[in-house]
Amino acid sequence: MKKFINGNEAFAYGALASGIDFYAGYPITPSTDVYEFFEKNAEKYNVKFVPTSSEVSAINMIMGASIAGARALTVTSGCGFSLMQEAISYMASDFVPCVILNVMREGAGLGDIPRSQGDYDQMTKGGGNGDYHTIVLSCKSCKDCMEMPNLAFELAEKYRNPVIVTYDSDIAHTKENVEILAQTKNNIDKLNFTLKGNKTGKPKLIQNVYYHDKNYNETLSNKYNIIEEKEQRFEEYETNDAEIILVAFSICARVCMDVVKRARKEGIKLGLIVPITLYPFPKNAFLNLPSLKKIIVVELNILKQMRKDVEYYTKFRYEYFSINSMSTCPTVLDILSFVKEVK
Amino acid sequence: MYDMLCPGCGHRTAMMILDELIENHKLKEKVIFALDVACCSLLIDFVNYDSIMCAHGRVLDVTKGYKEIRKENIVISYMGDGAAYSIGMEEMLHSARRNDDALIIVINNGLYSMTGGQKSPTYIDVKSQNDRITTTNSLDKPRQVYNGFLIENVISKLPINYLARASLTDKDNIDIAKKYIEKALKKYINIGGFNMVELLSPCPTNYKLTPKDMIDRINNEFTKIYKIMEFVDA
Repeated sequence: MKKFINGNEAFAYGALASGIDFYAGYPITPSTDVYEFFEKNAEKYNVKFVPTSSEVSAINMIMGASIAGARALTVTSGCGFSLMQEAISYMASDFVPCVILNVMREGAGLGDIPRSQGDYDQMTKGGGNGDYHTIVLSCKSCKDCMEMPNLAFELAEKYRNPVIVTYDSDIAHTKENVEILAQTKNNIDKLNFTLKGNKTGKPKLIQNVYYHDKNYNETLSNKYNIIEEKEQRFEEYETNDAEIILVAFSICARVCMDVVKRARKEGIKLGLIVPITLYPFPKNAFLNLPSLKKIIVVELNILKQMRKDVEYYTKFRYEYFSINSMSTCPTVLDILSFVKEVK
Repeated sequence: MYDMLCPGCGHRTAMMILDELIENHKLKEKVIFALDVACCSLLIDFVNYDSIMCAHGRVLDVTKGYKEIRKENIVISYMGDGAAYSIGMEEMLHSARRNDDALIIVINNGLYSMTGGQKSPTYIDVKSQNDRITTTNSLDKPRQVYNGFLIENVISKLPINYLARASLTDKDNIDIAKKYIEKALKKYINIGGFNMVELLSPCPTNYKLTPKDMIDRINNEFTKIYKIMEFVDA
């Protein structure tokens, strides 16, 4: 069955399809549609819903539910996501899986609610204290929003690590026709680490693995090395013979797809790489591009956050350009004329 | 048991009471023990229950999330006064407001003990003694007056099931503590809801007193403000 719904609603249906058992959250624009969806429909779909007193409470409840074996989700934006960093750091250190949706909003501090990709560094580089990463998945359409929760939970459980799904408010509020996936049921007993009570004589402890793993350094670095090697995800358009490549995610990726089509009609050898995983950064996307000379990073933040990763992971081999903006997304013509300038 | 604690520490007594009750009621296989950080967290290597070390002040959130998924388990929320009434006060209030299914043990010694004995909101100034005992006193300038913090004044009117205070000093008081905790445990199992016991607890190391003087200070000074009784028994 298809429905004409926005990205947030698609994400909520996708979460049901992934089999979530528990949702805790606090409303914040532009993510509130997901909160409202579960407030209205949790009982119908047999999902436990807790409206919390803060984002701090929400993320810690998610931690408790995950430890009980649930697929647990919270959804937030901007400063709400900042409030969650302590518990995200705890879950990464304790190897507890969970999924968080961060619908990015503009600016630092309170900022405002228009489109933004300003949380790129916070999400991909940590955000909380200590030595950890979270896997970060980006969506560029309602279809992505529908399918991403299941992938997010699978990765979270596979690596026992928090996974963040992200998109900007354009994707959150743009309606598209999308196939609704059927709800599934999670088995809360399927994971080994889940606490059920000490029935074996040896208690299970949820604390920083540092305390009970003698090979902590190795365990930690192996975990993230494997993630960085195996979980890179990206989409590419017309990259084989491209001399210039655009790099963009979420709403910018959608705009850039049109830019590539138009440029190709005009004979410009332009391609597009869309990182789906922001962490791990999809560096493999840039292998085997013999004609590539110039890279243009299009992102909705002023401080060129993703460009630094693009430069680093492509070993500074190319000529780099940026299109940065805040609040407004550059149009197809804006980007196309920039491409012609740098060509 | 619990050898890593300081001599005279109240955590030891509290844990021995809990261990005994869990053993007597044959609940070990169902218990999930959720602890706060600092001195509480020292217990995690010694308890024989599946356990979670939570972020400071967030025990009640973590246990709420857990209990929503596994209703059959006995989830014990164990924390100090800093976690319960300072950094975790918001969680405490909203847990009480919702009358969450919770069995809560609060170890109240009036100090942030793990960090070396700074005053917590439950600290009481005692004029009769040389009051240089905490690390955050400053005798030569005006300072905040500490008259204690009474949780019964805050949450008694909320729809909770059980609230009591006992002290971990001498045999009579420990017997009362045991009675209150057992009552809270039974209510938690049979009725559910928010069941909490606060335990006045000695910390001779940070009050810089002998264990005996520490117990006298609780019995003579603490209990003038912190009444030993049941406040809510719904």
